[in-house]
Amino acid sequence: MDPIVACRGLSKTFGKGELAVHALRDVDLDILPGDIATLAGPSGSGKTTLLNMIGALDKPTSGEVSVDGQPLGGLSRSQLSELRLSKIGFVFQSYNLIPVLSARENIEFVLQLQGVSAAERHDRAMEAIKEVGLSGMEDRRPGKMSGGQQQRVAVARALVSRPTIVLADEPTANLDSRNALELVDLMGNLNREHGTTFLIGTHDGRVIEHSMRHIEMVDGRIDSDARGST
Amino acid sequence: MIGGLKTMLPLAWRNLWRNPRRTGITLIVVAIGMWSVLFFNAFMIAWAQSSKETTLQLLLGSGQIHAEGYMDDPSIDALMHPPDQDLASALDAPAVADWTTRVVIPGVIQSEYKTLPTTIVGVDPKAEARISSIPGKIAEGRYLNSSDDDSVVLGLHMAERLKTGLGRRVILMSQNTEGGMSEQSFDVVGVYDADKATEDLYVFTGRAASQQFLGLEGEIAQVVFVLKEEIALEDTVAALAAAAPALDVRGWKDLNLFLASMDSYMGVFIHVWLGIVFALMAIGIVNTQLMAVFERTQEFGLLRALGMKPRRVLVMVTIENALLIGVGVLLGMVLAAVTIWSVRDGIDFSAFARAMEMVQTGEIIYLDYEMDAFLLFPGLIWLLGILVALWPAIRASRCSPVEAMRRET
Repeated sequence: MDPIVACRGLSKTFGKGELAVHALRDVDLDILPGDIATLAGPSGSGKTTLLNMIGALDKPTSGEVSVDGQPLGGLSRSQLSELRLSKIGFVFQSYNLIPVLSARENIEFVLQLQGVSAAERHDRAMEAIKEVGLSGMEDRRPGKMSGGQQQRVAVARALVSRPTIVLADEPTANLDSRNALELVDLMGNLNREHGTTFLIGTHDGRVIEHSMRHIEMVDGRIDSDARGST
Repeated sequence: MIGGLKTMLPLAWRNLWRNPRRTGITLIVVAIGMWSVLFFNAFMIAWAQSSKETTLQLLLGSGQIHAEGYMDDPSIDALMHPPDQDLASALDAPAVADWTTRVVIPGVIQSEYKTLPTTIVGVDPKAEARISSIPGKIAEGRYLNSSDDDSVVLGLHMAERLKTGLGRRVILMSQNTEGGMSEQSFDVVGVYDADKATEDLYVFTGRAASQQFLGLEGEIAQVVFVLKEEIALEDTVAALAAAAPALDVRGWKDLNLFLASMDSYMGVFIHVWLGIVFALMAIGIVNTQLMAVFERTQEFGLLRALGMKPRRVLVMVTIENALLIGVGVLLGMVLAAVTIWSVRDGIDFSAFARAMEMVQTGEIIYLDYEMDAFLLFPGLIWLLGILVALWPAIRASRCSPVEAMRRET
């Protein structure tokens, strides 16, 4: 099976000389279709940096990342935007919803960028809202929703464009236990029902427990990569 | 493109109201700037127009005809004959509303107390009433009755300085045609109230009476004409000059250089004012929009992370700026229109008119809606506003998408 994400010899250094910080050191990693993988490790271990590289948000100092067979090196800013729009979904720790848009509009926003027609946008957004269990809350703005509900909207926004992979950075860090568990269940269900691939940077044991693959990072290197079952 | 605008417009509008105070401050800055440009433009145009009309109506007229050399040395040796048939026909042209002839000679006026230099103006009172505002400015007594009226009308200030007044007699003296001095006593029948400079300079008597006093045989010093439309000035001056090639025909712009320069510099002044207002507005707009962009760095990073291209971020922020400045400009236009409407009965400028006699301002200034300005200046400010707001918009478009993620950790 061809990997959805392939990292080869990936290194990232911030700063120069004595102040240089080696955030990633020669990382090789493949993410396979249908994986629900967690990326864990202590602060500064390189989880977020690796997610940024895979999400085409940042460029490596050396090495290469391919997403869905497409090497990212050499792509222009505009081409990287296009790639993120079509192939990658993001879920952030602080939800990062657009505060002036309703839940449905936030979800539709990505489809608008893709140029999807208004009718199709509406249908797909409503379907995604139903899928994350927020039916009836589509017209609420983020400020009128709980953290758990906002994170569900963020998941719906990440999924609605049918991305190749969803990258989630500490998605449960701002949620209480009940909401965190519900989110973990939601991602597990989406993975099982639609084969959605997740790569989740997390410290949260509940998330790690539910993943089918656990990658541990230490000092910018992959320390362990264990596959289990959810 | 239109579809993109359709989705971006509501988003841009909602984004504007995320920080109502900042948006309100920017709107107020733009609206006040727009108001000041439109209101002061209307005011300056009305003031300049009033000043010009007041000066032209006083004695100057739209133009004057003199003998060659009179303007350099307005003496009795530089007089002219009344208009011949050719000149009279040219003066009766449709563009000319009215004309008359005057004797205007330097002289001396003497009361029991004082002797002052003056300019003796012999007029045809009936024609003068159609051309000059002086007959309508009689404060005491009456204006002259006829060209033969051998009484005088003095300025208020001159009468005070001479310590004379109605019913008293004054003596006028001037050089006559034979090189000697003519001297005659005149009854003061009227006192006029104009600006001090005019009051101190001119004393009026009948034209035929002045000619008799000076020993003239029908000679005059000037023909003064008034046009129906200002636009016909150059053509009329040319036609009159062609009809009387030996005479010195001048429009008001060549007779009163100060007034002419004020008229032509008014446009420059308005544009300098526009520039100052715009510079102040630009500082306000750029400052608040830069703050807005800085506060929303993470959001722009998020939009870039979600796949929004830098150009689209630029367009989105520019639409926000265009809406913000556009609403401010509209508010300023409404404010200016209401202000101009509220002073539709005129602004009482009499206190300033006294203080600014040099420029002969009318006592009531009537403002008008300058439609050209209402179309041009708002458009200009809107476009220039968008242009300066491109700087914050470009900064927004350059927000790194990694910022959104980095601030998470």
